[in-house]
Amino acid sequence: MTYPTSRRDFLKTASAATLAALASGAPRLSFAAADKAPAAKADTLILLWMGGGMAHTETFDPKRFVEFRKGMSAKEVLSTFPSIDTVVDNIKISKGLENVAKVMDRGTLIRTQVGADLGKILHSRHQFHWHTGYEPPVTVAAPHLGAWIARARGANNPAIPAFIDINQPYEGNGEAEEIKAFQTGGFLGSEFGPFRVPRPDQAMASVRPPAGMSVERFRKRQEAYHKLLLESPAVRNGSDYQRESLLRSIENTNRLLNSPAAAAFDLAKEPKESYDKYNTGHFGRGCLLARRLTEAGARFIEVTSEYVPFFGWDTHDNGHTRLVEMKRQIDAPIAQLVLDLEARGLLDRTLIVLASEFSRDVLVEGKPDVLVPGQVDQPDVIQELKYFGMHRHFTSAGSVLMFGGGVKKGLLYGRTADERPCTTIENPVSITDLHATIYQLMGISPRYQLEIEQRPFYVTKDGKGKPIAAILS
Amino acid sequence: MSRRGSLKPTLLLCGLLFGLGTPAASGAESPAAPQVDFHREVLPILSRHCARCHTSGKHEGGLAIDNRQKLLAGGDSGPALVVGKSDKSLLIGLVSGRDPEKVMPAEGRKLTADEIGTLRSWIDQGAPWEEGLSLSAFPTASWEPRRVELPPAPAGAAVASNPIDRLLAPYFAHHKIAPPAVVSDRVFARRAYLDLVGLMPSHVEIEAFEKDSQADKRRALVQRLLASREQYAIHWMSFWNDALRNDYKGPGYIDGGRKQITGWLYKALAENKPFDQFVRELVAPPNDESAGFVKGIVWRGVVNASQRPEMQAAQHVSQVFLGINLKCASCHDSFVSEWKLDDAYALASVFADKPLEVHRCDAPLKRTVEPRFLSAKLGKVDPKASLPERRKQVAEILTSPQDGRLARTIVNRLWARLLGRGLVEPVDSMDNPPWNAELLDFLATDLVDHKYDLQHTLELILTSQAYQLPSVGATSATEKDFVFRGPLVKRVSAEQFIDAVSTITGVWQPANGFKPPKKKAAAGAAPDFSAVGIRSALAIGDPLARALGRPNREQVITSREPVATTLQVLELTNGTTLDKMLKQGAERRLKESPGPAEGLIEAVYLRALMRRPEPKELETARGLVGTPATPDGVQDLMWTLMMLPEFQLIE
Repeated sequence: MTYPTSRRDFLKTASAATLAALASGAPRLSFAAADKAPAAKADTLILLWMGGGMAHTETFDPKRFVEFRKGMSAKEVLSTFPSIDTVVDNIKISKGLENVAKVMDRGTLIRTQVGADLGKILHSRHQFHWHTGYEPPVTVAAPHLGAWIARARGANNPAIPAFIDINQPYEGNGEAEEIKAFQTGGFLGSEFGPFRVPRPDQAMASVRPPAGMSVERFRKRQEAYHKLLLESPAVRNGSDYQRESLLRSIENTNRLLNSPAAAAFDLAKEPKESYDKYNTGHFGRGCLLARRLTEAGARFIEVTSEYVPFFGWDTHDNGHTRLVEMKRQIDAPIAQLVLDLEARGLLDRTLIVLASEFSRDVLVEGKPDVLVPGQVDQPDVIQELKYFGMHRHFTSAGSVLMFGGGVKKGLLYGRTADERPCTTIENPVSITDLHATIYQLMGISPRYQLEIEQRPFYVTKDGKGKPIAAILS
Repeated sequence: MSRRGSLKPTLLLCGLLFGLGTPAASGAESPAAPQVDFHREVLPILSRHCARCHTSGKHEGGLAIDNRQKLLAGGDSGPALVVGKSDKSLLIGLVSGRDPEKVMPAEGRKLTADEIGTLRSWIDQGAPWEEGLSLSAFPTASWEPRRVELPPAPAGAAVASNPIDRLLAPYFAHHKIAPPAVVSDRVFARRAYLDLVGLMPSHVEIEAFEKDSQADKRRALVQRLLASREQYAIHWMSFWNDALRNDYKGPGYIDGGRKQITGWLYKALAENKPFDQFVRELVAPPNDESAGFVKGIVWRGVVNASQRPEMQAAQHVSQVFLGINLKCASCHDSFVSEWKLDDAYALASVFADKPLEVHRCDAPLKRTVEPRFLSAKLGKVDPKASLPERRKQVAEILTSPQDGRLARTIVNRLWARLLGRGLVEPVDSMDNPPWNAELLDFLATDLVDHKYDLQHTLELILTSQAYQLPSVGATSATEKDFVFRGPLVKRVSAEQFIDAVSTITGVWQPANGFKPPKKKAAAGAAPDFSAVGIRSALAIGDPLARALGRPNREQVITSREPVATTLQVLELTNGTTLDKMLKQGAERRLKESPGPAEGLIEAVYLRALMRRPEPKELETARGLVGTPATPDGVQDLMWTLMMLPEFQLIE
């Protein structure tokens, strides 16, 4: 870059936040943000999002196994898979998760995530709540977890976007608008919004010249731009913050596109043997991309199992059959991600969180005590395999898996009932407290706040989140 | 982090309200009495009940409490408090009414036992105060309109005959500013086009305008642009879609929980519907077409009481039309303004079809309040009237000429949109003091005098010297001591950028949003917009528009991000939306000018920057487009010019 020295110095020092703060009405750190940031236990957060409602009794909290029989009563069904042992004595999980079972000693399993009582089950509304900490509608645009982390901690490596969202397609997705409502920087602004990688296989497209443009042509275009910028009569005029912010953003973009770190986006660069371990589908390859980006210095990565209504974990029918496939997709890559990060010495400073917006059950819709209108055709007597599975939405228990930076190893936290309703009976975890725990581990106070529209807006709801002390190592 | 200077208490903490003043009850975790939070608990009490008579130059009874020192020094009756000893503190005696003849506050409601308890604990804990913090009363602006007398026009100065400039002359004199000469015709025309119709002028139009020798040609141009009603309406759709949270796609539409007002809005703008009528039709919809605004977004299931649709209506009406933030008060009495929970519920009740139970922080209080407008003085709502009737009554009150806030709020928004910063900032906090009250009040009454004709106000502002001053770069737009020196440099909006790209490439938007009714081209005088296709404001937001700042419209948005961000530039640099437009555009332009590269380069420069390249620029551009020019080269030249500050900023 050949800007005059004074400009370059300014660009180096002026972050987007300081530039944005010059603007009226922009969110700013509240003067009362007295809470000191806790010491960070992790520098990167990988959120593995099981969009659509992952049934706890079919995955990480198995109950009595009953095989399918024609004419069985729906009431009999608790788990449609047998349980298996893990490397931790007191933890059993569901068949199909054999690889995860082998790394269970590296993390904490929470079995008692209790979702909000929203009176009606809407995936998008619960997902909004899980990702922002606030139940929609909210009076201001609530930022995503990743945006808060990007805002509070900045990029880990300036050449890698601070908030990366992998594998959530919008095209042809009936709830795309609902997802976009929370996959956003919210009032923090687009600087902290998601860098989207809709498909891990095409991640390179996000960090290289547009399709069909050679690297040589791209470089020539950049060169010509810088020349014309200096030759343009307008640049000879005085500077202002609008101009600075544009030029600074252009410089950041070039850094991103020309950085050696951009190669992290390229799954083709992964050795075949390693690639194959992750190659179970889009989600598996997303995990591989997350690992590569973590190595390159990412701050926050969300890999979703791809939420599309009635697909993936959203099993309104064929629950048993479809979960065989879902578990096949997630099992090996999750375990491999843990092992790979460990082998590279990165697991201690990386926090991996696997979660879903709520769980499922055969009979209960909502909470056992607050039933909400059902949305599923589920007969009392099961004659066909397609009715065998967890087809209703259940919010009063759910499993969360955490590995790495700052969480206890081999810990089981929370207990659910062994008989229907398989609800939380010990150590309930609210999403607010789960978030507080995550933020704390990432070195952000649960009371971290920004002032917007003259009031503080907290990273956990109303600043009330309390970290779960028992799971912190 | 601490900020120096005078600060309003700016805290709201939903949920902790119940903890206020009851330190003993909330001490479950630590046995010692918990520390009272000065900002959250003490400041709101002092601001609300004491500040009006004892701060900012007022010292009733000799007592000022702007800071701790003054408070401790006390007034005519001695020290106001004894640190560490609430029992011996005069302040506690006065607020708790030990002597019924002398109870404070002298006006307004008395303090509750909880509030007194908070003050006691605070004094007992040493009355801590944040250093440098200066207390002031919550600012409140009047509801009444105020007629301002114009200062005489300076003799001989033709340009100062605009009332805005007559009002600003003493302001400039006071700040010892000699306003520089107004901007060139070229800069003015680009500003006017972008501000009024959202499109960049062609170089032909600019050159014709420069050659025009009419004395009043700038006014004539403004009038021509305002008369281009179709383009004017499309441009202002974005402003109103943001503010009225209307979009062609978005959460809520999927299950009928939301309703578009697009067709109504377009028509209202194209007809230049008087603003009072515009507001009445939104607040008390005469039919389905404009019903979407007060309907809000209705989510299935249980919603926090402060976000039920009736409350959304109260919040949106007060924010958009009055610059009043009721969001805090929808949950509990506000800590940052005078607004109370009951005020919010009273307004929400106007929009409710059955009585609304008041909830504080989502907990029911087993009572209701009668529907009323925020200012009871302006008129009454009949609690027995039907829902449509009540809405109509509140719409009448809102738009009555006695309500000065409605007009002040909209003229301030227009001023902010055109000059980059409002007379009052933030534009949704109309209780804040304006930097020039005369100008604000004048523009407001002037709008009413002109039958709420928004185009009249736009013309008035655009033809002022103030608007035509050279732009200035902002150093700090929120500074208390802001001084107006000219419009701020603005960045083109998402829609303006994309429309400009379309103008250059000839590639317009897909018809996937709103299709306005086809109108005959305006007669003669209006600029020729016949080449304009489907504009960005009418299309569903694509990744490019979103990256450039077109917001999600689930909340009211009244100002967009003012600066560029890395993700935006990344989208411009390698996003497919822009790349496709440019690719098609380059091929099209190449077909149109098959001659030597120079001609083509000049044509692209003229379209993008409305000027010819300078010799050095031409040389660089020639290297880029190739000899003979290639589609790739032309595309890259287009891209390069679009990334220049000269293109993206409005000088």
